Amino acid sequence: MNIVVLVKPALDTSNLRTAANKIMIEDTPLKISDIDRNAAEEAIRIKEKTKSGKTIAVMISKYPPTAKRAGEVENLGREVLAMGIDEAIVVVDDGLIGTDQTATAKTISEVLKRKIGQFDLIIGGEATIDGYSSQVPARVAAELGIPVVTYVREITQLGNDNITVKRDLEDEVQVINTKLPAVITVTREINTPRIPPLLQIRMAMKKPLTKLSLTDLGLSIQSKIKTTSLKPLQIQRKKIIIESGTVEEKADKLIQYLAQEGILTPR
Amino acid sequence: MIGIFSFQSTLDIMGLAQRLNDETTVFLLNGDEQAINQAGKYGASKVINIECGSICDPAALYQAISSDLSNAKYLIFPATKDGKTIAAYIAGKLGIPNVVDIVDVMGPGKFSKYSMGNRGAEEVEVDGMAALVVQPKRFQPSEKPTQPSIEKRIAKPIIGLVGKEEKPKGSLKIEDAELIVSVGRGFKKQDDLKIAFELAEVLGAQVGCSRPIAADLKWLSEDHWVGLSGHKVRPKMYMAIGISGQPQHIAGMLESRIVVAVNSDKNAPIFQYADYGVVEDLYKFVPILKEKLRKALGK
Repeated sequence: MNIVVLVKPALDTSNLRTAANKIMIEDTPLKISDIDRNAAEEAIRIKEKTKSGKTIAVMISKYPPTAKRAGEVENLGREVLAMGIDEAIVVVDDGLIGTDQTATAKTISEVLKRKIGQFDLIIGGEATIDGYSSQVPARVAAELGIPVVTYVREITQLGNDNITVKRDLEDEVQVINTKLPAVITVTREINTPRIPPLLQIRMAMKKPLTKLSLTDLGLSIQSKIKTTSLKPLQIQRKKIIIESGTVEEKADKLIQYLAQEGILTPR
Repeated sequence: MIGIFSFQSTLDIMGLAQRLNDETTVFLLNGDEQAINQAGKYGASKVINIECGSICDPAALYQAISSDLSNAKYLIFPATKDGKTIAAYIAGKLGIPNVVDIVDVMGPGKFSKYSMGNRGAEEVEVDGMAALVVQPKRFQPSEKPTQPSIEKRIAKPIIGLVGKEEKPKGSLKIEDAELIVSVGRGFKKQDDLKIAFELAEVLGAQVGCSRPIAADLKWLSEDHWVGLSGHKVRPKMYMAIGISGQPQHIAGMLESRIVVAVNSDKNAPIFQYADYGVVEDLYKFVPILKEKLRKALGK
């Protein structure tokens, strides 16, 4: 069984660089989007069980500056290879900067059609840490005309041509069966991603990692949406710290503040 | 034309269609007569009721309605898990952009939204048709009764539902709560949550929680879960007790009017997002706060 994992080189939003009310995207480091590690882990576990086929990570670089990001994305590719993924394909191109999820999904679909060919299952994360739009995997399914099942918290059965999963929604858990090939997205609860030992990190240097451009994929992208402004979200908080005094005094102080704010109306 | 894709439970997203002020077609998923009436109440000129069986498969849904979208300008979807999935698939099929979690309409084709895991405020401009995903409570619809024309479609799922487990769930709607007392990993066992519930009762607040409490430990049902993947809330006061303040949690309570944090660790990130931060062991602080509030509020 060949399994494709969608791994986003995401902006590390907990290290967002800002200056003068601007988000400095170019200076913000990248990391593997957290839930994509769960996706990679699930693929590796399936391969360990079935002992056949291969696992391939597809990574699309979306942030400037392209030249610097190429190396950064390659390093993130080595990270998933060290976890146990067999092969990585990364696409880095100026033409992808400032484009939306339509472009990402198109690029992934072309990688699948032109460079991978035969695959049985595509696994992505339920959302990425930077965009959080949960768009790309379902769009890939739409591009390829194959079924999609989102928010999978458990794979309960995996056959040669079909899969059964538990899909975790707000009010219920659905048990869904679909034929393969299909796209699934997983939630954080599906597994705990492994941390690769040093030996595997060294071995990952020898695994295949292919770098592609949009030209290699015969693509040129035109975006129908553009960002006109991007600022750090500033919701001003008072940050008043109550730390001195006894527990009683702290409680009194808090109640006094909440009364001032009009949250409480003491008798 | 504006197309609304929704179950009855999220028809409040029609508030955004009212803001955009165009003729509205509601693609109602598994609707009944009551749902059709509700769509009419909010100004639908047409309701296309789609029978999607026990599961709304986005592929089948798209096939059933693709010929109805020719003159659509915007397609609006609720920011629920099903809603986002359907939005992504349909936007993918149409090759149109999708603006997720719209905060406001800034002008024709211009929208503001949060980005970067709710750390950035972004404005975008779309060129032509676009999908819009919105929290049901973001734009409250007003009543503009119409007599919509009604059509029917059938969307037979390609994927198969073989079973269903209902989640344990109360009648809690945390999004509607004015005051929220929220609990996190600072609580050492499930039983201990009782002190937070007692405090909430005195305040007349609802109890929320962070991801581990609902999703991993399952100490509370998921209708309590506040966060980027859980519920997004905007109460008058949000009191985070024993919550460290992971970005995904902060993103769910960002718009609270007043934030109070109680944590024994002075360096917990939650204090950066709080108006009032109490550095104290919650096991000591919460019972005393509750007793003092009981007296102050005369309960």
